[in-house]
Amino acid sequence: MYWFGFGFNAFGQILDSGKRAQGDDDVKSSTCLTPKRFDHVGEREEKADRQRSLIGTKRLSACWSRTASLCLHGERRVYLQGFGADVNGSCMNESLGCKDALLGERYLTLGFKNKVECWDVQRRGPAPAWSMETPPEDEGASLRLPLVPGGYIASKPPFYRPLSPQLKVESLALGAEHAVLLSGSGTVYTWGIGSHGQLGHSGLTPEKEPRPVEALWGVRINSVSTGGWHSACVSAGGDLYVWGWNESGQLGLPSQAMRTSQGQESVKGTAVPCQEASTATAAEEQKAGESQDVFISIQAFPALLDITESCDVGKVSCGSRHTAAVTTTGDLYTWGWGDYGQLGHGTARSSDEPLCVDFFRQEGLRVVDVVCGPWNTFAMATKEEVAQS
Amino acid sequence: MSALWSNISAILPLDEAHFPLLFSDSVDSSVVELLLRCRQRLYADMAPNPQNCALTNAQIITDLSWERLNTGTWRDVDKEWRRVYAYGCLFKALALCRRDPSPEIVRQAVRTCDMGLLMGASIMDNVLHRLVQILQTEVRRATEEEVHREPNVQAKKIKLEVPPAPVIEKTTAVPRMHCPSLEHFKNNNLLTKQPVILVGIINHWPALNDHCWSLEYIRSIAGCRTVPVEVGSRYTDEEWSQRLLTVNEFIDKYISAKVEDKPVGYLAQHQLFDQIPELKEDIRIPDYCCLGNEDEDNITINAWFGPLGTVSPLHQDPQHNFLAQVLGSKYIRLYSPSDSGKLYPHESPLLHNTSQVEVENPDVERFPEFVEAPYLECVLKPGEVLFIPTQHWHYVRSLELSFSVSFWWS
Repeated sequence: MYWFGFGFNAFGQILDSGKRAQGDDDVKSSTCLTPKRFDHVGEREEKADRQRSLIGTKRLSACWSRTASLCLHGERRVYLQGFGADVNGSCMNESLGCKDALLGERYLTLGFKNKVECWDVQRRGPAPAWSMETPPEDEGASLRLPLVPGGYIASKPPFYRPLSPQLKVESLALGAEHAVLLSGSGTVYTWGIGSHGQLGHSGLTPEKEPRPVEALWGVRINSVSTGGWHSACVSAGGDLYVWGWNESGQLGLPSQAMRTSQGQESVKGTAVPCQEASTATAAEEQKAGESQDVFISIQAFPALLDITESCDVGKVSCGSRHTAAVTTTGDLYTWGWGDYGQLGHGTARSSDEPLCVDFFRQEGLRVVDVVCGPWNTFAMATKEEVAQS
Repeated sequence: MSALWSNISAILPLDEAHFPLLFSDSVDSSVVELLLRCRQRLYADMAPNPQNCALTNAQIITDLSWERLNTGTWRDVDKEWRRVYAYGCLFKALALCRRDPSPEIVRQAVRTCDMGLLMGASIMDNVLHRLVQILQTEVRRATEEEVHREPNVQAKKIKLEVPPAPVIEKTTAVPRMHCPSLEHFKNNNLLTKQPVILVGIINHWPALNDHCWSLEYIRSIAGCRTVPVEVGSRYTDEEWSQRLLTVNEFIDKYISAKVEDKPVGYLAQHQLFDQIPELKEDIRIPDYCCLGNEDEDNITINAWFGPLGTVSPLHQDPQHNFLAQVLGSKYIRLYSPSDSGKLYPHESPLLHNTSQVEVENPDVERFPEFVEAPYLECVLKPGEVLFIPTQHWHYVRSLELSFSVSFWWS
């Protein structure tokens, strides 16, 4: 299994300069328009691991200027690649033995068996910027960061924020200004700033406390994700729901700003509610979009998005202004902002329609997981033959 | 080196050492690194095709800081990120102009500077202002070589649109006064908070004389400049939105376009005269403002430029206002703050200074007391200045193509 990356690469966070093809100048290297093998320095160790048939399962986490990868086998350590890292990526020795890692632009959060630490990655010091002891977990329960027992770790101080135990949190996705939480019963809760409809409560007002998304009531949800100003989730039945800002087509719904190519040129407060338009279902909206009539700027409650007719969605991940989803047939679809190649279609164009990333099919690869950085995308894929055998 | 670039170089620091890029801790070091790369490129010798690289880095900076400016509420955005945005726009405009740019590229650079001026913070002693002035001169030079537009067809069309002005009853008319003395104005209007139309006090403005404002004149001075335009009948409407357009685009689409039922676009409450100092030279701050307690620098001057049918719903402002009419006419209704109880302000904190009532078509069942509120009204004509005392409720509707200038003072 391999990780591939595409999109924003100005700091070598996907493909560092040492591995750049000769003749690539700065301009080309600031973006990867098509998927590239994502390798960190641990390559040598990985080779050794491969011989022991521990074929690399790595966990990835990307912020704007860096990528962190954590090997889930052998000596568990985090490698950083991108801004401030050595040419070949650098190993965080302090991370030895950690079981989870989450990277933000300022802090790297490391989850250990009995503690959690936040390291300042801009000003590396000898000690973590913050740390907390955590009670040893039950064997069965395995919380993924940013979740920790009793609460979660925010991207800036105060790091620890408690959550009500009544929520029975399953997973949590943090956006720049909003949060989407999935409870053990499959209910979605959101809170934070709602100015772009990203909370999904039909309004644009902020919420201080987790509030259930009523439109998803009764639909069992399996996973949630947040972008800069949008949110997405996948139901147990493989349906994809999206809501929030559609400024670059990140919801996969017709986007006027994108089509008039003035997305960037909007003023603060430009995004004005168009809740009337969003009462239509996603399917109707798409039909209307073909006749260029209805555009969605803000979708203030979840809309069902059909990315293909034939198959279900297994996993979704949101970047700052783009979205990527893996189907149960192993295809990767991307849509939204594409200026830095983060859609992986070989261009720097945005798309307000989900498009299949042909690279993986052409290479006979089956996509099994996807993780978006703010301006880039990482997909884990496996050779089709391996999957079938 | 092109003449344009040597003009631009003259407003830039001599070398990297005199070009500080200092930011607080809230700006990520990765972003500062990109800014440093941009600065280095600017002073690097002509490396092979340095332009694209500089442009890419500058674009990355404007894209990222744009995201920061759109995160959270505008007033909470860290000023440091507005500075980063302005630097990004500066580097982008410079990269665009580095080598004999086409007129279209120069226009794009003007647009970039305007974005920095509108959304960024002031940097390097207002360098974006100085840069845009150089660029605008270049644009004007290029357009003078082109054939001029056909001006008269549209002017005629606009005159046909003029509807009959509302009839103003004597009992409700705002009184007019010809050039009262400062003392007289102070005692009879300012201290007593009585609205009045001052006649003859702006006749000397260049905007009403040798620089007579017209669509053509405004195009020639500001055509390529980007401004915020309100689209939708009134700012209280659901569909109301704000767009950024060049003045030429605004005039073409919302003023000159011969389309029926076109949406109303209004260049409203914009500090155009700070953005385009050349237009400021065509107007003067009314002498009466010296009766205020504040410095002249604290007077806010806004432009209000739009077609027939723009409406500002009934609202109040926290300062005195001189509303000077330069082009076209406007129907205005005034209510005293002592009658606020009959005006049904919106309950939401954002609109609490705005009445819910449609002044010229009130819903008497929902707002029964509104019709009992006494008011003053007028049709403000070119050359006239309406004094709106602080907190006085006002409703404004344009009766034709109109350009007004407001002075908020205390």
